[in-house]
Amino acid sequence: MAEMEYKKETRSVEGSWPMEHWSWKFESIALISKTREAFKEKKLLGLKCPGCGLVYFPPKPYCRCMSEPDEWVEVKQQGTITTYTFTGAWAYEGIKEEEGPAGEPLIIVGVNFDGSDTLTVCTLGEAKPEEVFVGMRVQLKWPENIEGRLDDIAHVVPLRE
Amino acid sequence: MRREVAIISYAQTPYEADANASREMQVLKVAREALQAAGLKQEDRYTVVTANNDYLDGRTISNMRLVEPAGAWMKNESKAEMDGAYAALYGLWRILSGDHDVALIIGESQASVYARWLPGIMMFDPTFDRQRWLLNEASAAALQARAYMNAFGISGEQVAGVAAKNLDNASLNPLAHNKLAGADAAKVLGSRMLYDPLTEMMMAPYCDGACAMVIAAGELAEKAERPVWIRGVGFAHDSYLTERTLKEMNSLRLAAEKAYAMAGISDPSSQVDLAEVHENFAHEELMAYEALGFCGKGEGGAFFDSGVTRRDGKLPVNVSGGATGANVVCATGLARIIEAAMQIRGDAEGRQVAGVKTAVATGQTGPCAQESVVFVLGGE
Amino acid sequence: MAHIDVAVTGVGYSKHVSKRRDVNIAELVWEAVSNCYEDAGLKPKDIDAVVTGNMPAFEGVNMPELWGAGHWGAYHKPLIRITTGGTTGGSVAHAAYYAVASGLYDTVLAIAFEKQSDGNSTMGLNTVALADAAAQFQQGVDPGFLASFGGGAVGIAVYQAASYMKRSGCTTHHLDKVSALCRNNAALNPWSHLKQPGLTPEDVAKTVLMQYPIRFGHVCPATDGACAMILTTHEKALKLQNKPAYILSCASCSDEAALMGISGSGTTNMDPCAQEHCKLAAKWAYELAGIKDPRREIDVAEPYAPFAHQMLMFYERLLLCEEGEAPAILDSGSMNLDGELPVCPSGGVISTNAIGASAMERITEVALQIMGKAGERQVKKEVHKGVAHGWGGAVNLNVVAVLSDTPRRS
Ligand SMILES: [Zn+2]
Repeated sequence: MAEMEYKKETRSVEGSWPMEHWSWKFESIALISKTREAFKEKKLLGLKCPGCGLVYFPPKPYCRCMSEPDEWVEVKQQGTITTYTFTGAWAYEGIKEEEGPAGEPLIIVGVNFDGSDTLTVCTLGEAKPEEVFVGMRVQLKWPENIEGRLDDIAHVVPLRE
Repeated sequence: MRREVAIISYAQTPYEADANASREMQVLKVAREALQAAGLKQEDRYTVVTANNDYLDGRTISNMRLVEPAGAWMKNESKAEMDGAYAALYGLWRILSGDHDVALIIGESQASVYARWLPGIMMFDPTFDRQRWLLNEASAAALQARAYMNAFGISGEQVAGVAAKNLDNASLNPLAHNKLAGADAAKVLGSRMLYDPLTEMMMAPYCDGACAMVIAAGELAEKAERPVWIRGVGFAHDSYLTERTLKEMNSLRLAAEKAYAMAGISDPSSQVDLAEVHENFAHEELMAYEALGFCGKGEGGAFFDSGVTRRDGKLPVNVSGGATGANVVCATGLARIIEAAMQIRGDAEGRQVAGVKTAVATGQTGPCAQESVVFVLGGE
Repeated sequence: MAHIDVAVTGVGYSKHVSKRRDVNIAELVWEAVSNCYEDAGLKPKDIDAVVTGNMPAFEGVNMPELWGAGHWGAYHKPLIRITTGGTTGGSVAHAAYYAVASGLYDTVLAIAFEKQSDGNSTMGLNTVALADAAAQFQQGVDPGFLASFGGGAVGIAVYQAASYMKRSGCTTHHLDKVSALCRNNAALNPWSHLKQPGLTPEDVAKTVLMQYPIRFGHVCPATDGACAMILTTHEKALKLQNKPAYILSCASCSDEAALMGISGSGTTNMDPCAQEHCKLAAKWAYELAGIKDPRREIDVAEPYAPFAHQMLMFYERLLLCEEGEAPAILDSGSMNLDGELPVCPSGGVISTNAIGASAMERITEVALQIMGKAGERQVKKEVHKGVAHGWGGAVNLNVVAVLSDTPRRS
């Protein structure tokens, strides 16, 4: 437990929670491992719920309808932006540069890939902050070396149809 | 009570040291099973009350990730951060108010996830006791056991006998985690010393698991097969560990008085057929006999020696093995209610006691039963 | 079966500031509780049961009432602890409502609090994200990259704000106006934390942009504070009060957790501003309260809005107008203290956020407006009915209570 500081005015100490001693369990790790393997074949695998038909990407072991999604389905690599944000004040409404760090703004978007019913958070490249909008169509951009990591699907670019 | 409220279904996972499933999947399993047994679907109207604890889960807002597995998606849901019996109590209030008719109650935690002693240590006064690392749940229990044994001349054999009885009872419970057929006091006393006078086998070891129960009033209760009626409830908070007498379990006594008054019980030892008691350490069961009015103050040891609380006795206590058999923090008290209901319904299979009409179940939270809740249940 | 009417017969607050170094948790809570006893004209012996809660991650203490409740008058009384994250205060008040409405307890003390300054700075974030983050690193996610996904310091609220602005036509100017309105109201509230009399939208627009579209001025402070209320039956309340406020109904509704972690991919992520469950909770609460047209019948609203866009978003989700109308209603002045349907007259969560207490403070503030005891922040119009809201979890928990100057009476 961290060193505790006794405060002067009252019998009070700083709280602590030594979380390094907890060890969590996730079924989703096994599911996500399978999805990661599929990245190497440039495929996105989601899990479909037998109860209500929702497709979870990334996969999730339980559904809100209380069924257990168990059918692997391929999810498309095109999708729609459902929400977004970006870092850095300089990129927004003519705010002066000194309000934010210099450099390229990072545009973070929530993407609903076609064929899935959930959102995946990615960064958007090849676009400026003022160009992004909810409803924008995007395309997954694979990295040069696909390693089967979650990072492999971290980037999307505007879909040019 | 303003409405007749019945337990109409329940489900428990097997209790294990390290379950091969996350808490979410354990909860999903029992919630689904309990709803199905009650003839309910996810889309039906019911309210959900869970019992879990952020420090056990190791993540804050421990109920927020349980929404889907607990069948609480788009439901009126809440959480009691105490023993599961308190979730049942809150569910009961919701139904008694008339605003709800059906409640799904869930208790869960996984000892394999949390750091064994830390959530308990974090309950103690952070400005003083926690700074000195002397108190944890077991050392506090040992202080209480010594105070109680000294005050009333309770022997180590009597305390060990309780543990042996519960370990032996647990051997008939297929879901129990900690069991030993034919256990005896000598074996319990001979196990590793935890904190004198408590040996390791006198402690109810923490484990993984979840349990769920559906309670209802109105139509669903009336048409239910073999409903178990909630006849009385009571709960009480006692002072902090160092500010109260440790030789009596006053929170449980106060809770029981209220519950008995509601259920019309004036002579518990003759009117109660069976009890399921949440004992984190063996001596607590002896103290509970006294607090529940089964015997007089300080008579817990002699009452146990008389054999009344054995499986074949007149007032069997912890036929399931009690918390000794399976101690899932935030579920143990709820499991006591479920086990008591199973006995009334005749669902207890190999551990069934004949002729159980009225049963008592208790739950506790905080060191040395600082907070207690009592349910009195009855058959038709 | 006749409904048991539940009345608010006393409320109390502690002093709310960012760091209460002069008191510990138990002492901080006692300030609110003693004020509440005094307001109600009651003593601990008059209390039949106690409901309490906070969001324990902040203090690093598991169930602080175990060593604190003795100081609050809970000795040998029935006590239950209810915690649900950001909605905790609301959930505590709801449990107290049910305790009275169950017929088992006549007079119930409800206590909610947070002493955020007790925890160290990384703890709050760790307790939300560490489990998932640990699993994600294993699966191949760069930690720095992951941190930026979460919305940085502002969290998922940035995504919610962006979605809401798209759906409603709300602009950043509206966000600035919300902050100015709330902080000016807070200046009239003796227990509020951030008082900024005379703050203008233009001032807010000059604060630092944290992450698009949220500026520093659009975000709540971290507060130490406690709130208490005493609920009792209609009959007992009339002996204590000329004009009690009644809690007509309570409802909560939970959606999937919108988690971006390893066990996440909740479908609520799809549009974190949809808050369909808030609409459902509001619908249930209005139904129980016998309210057919909330837009006409509700006189004052206290939505739970730690971020500026949420005041407008929840105004809509509490069914007080059509979707997308709130920004124009703000422009009309209707949400001001002297408006047709004043919103956050207390200054709201954006001015004071002792997390575990905040959702209860929404209820106590509506109760004070109904009782006509809100002092300088009393709204100009006559108040008969009000709605109090709480929000939390991973954008997935909502609680709603409807209060009135007359009991439900079926
Ligand atoms: Zn499904």
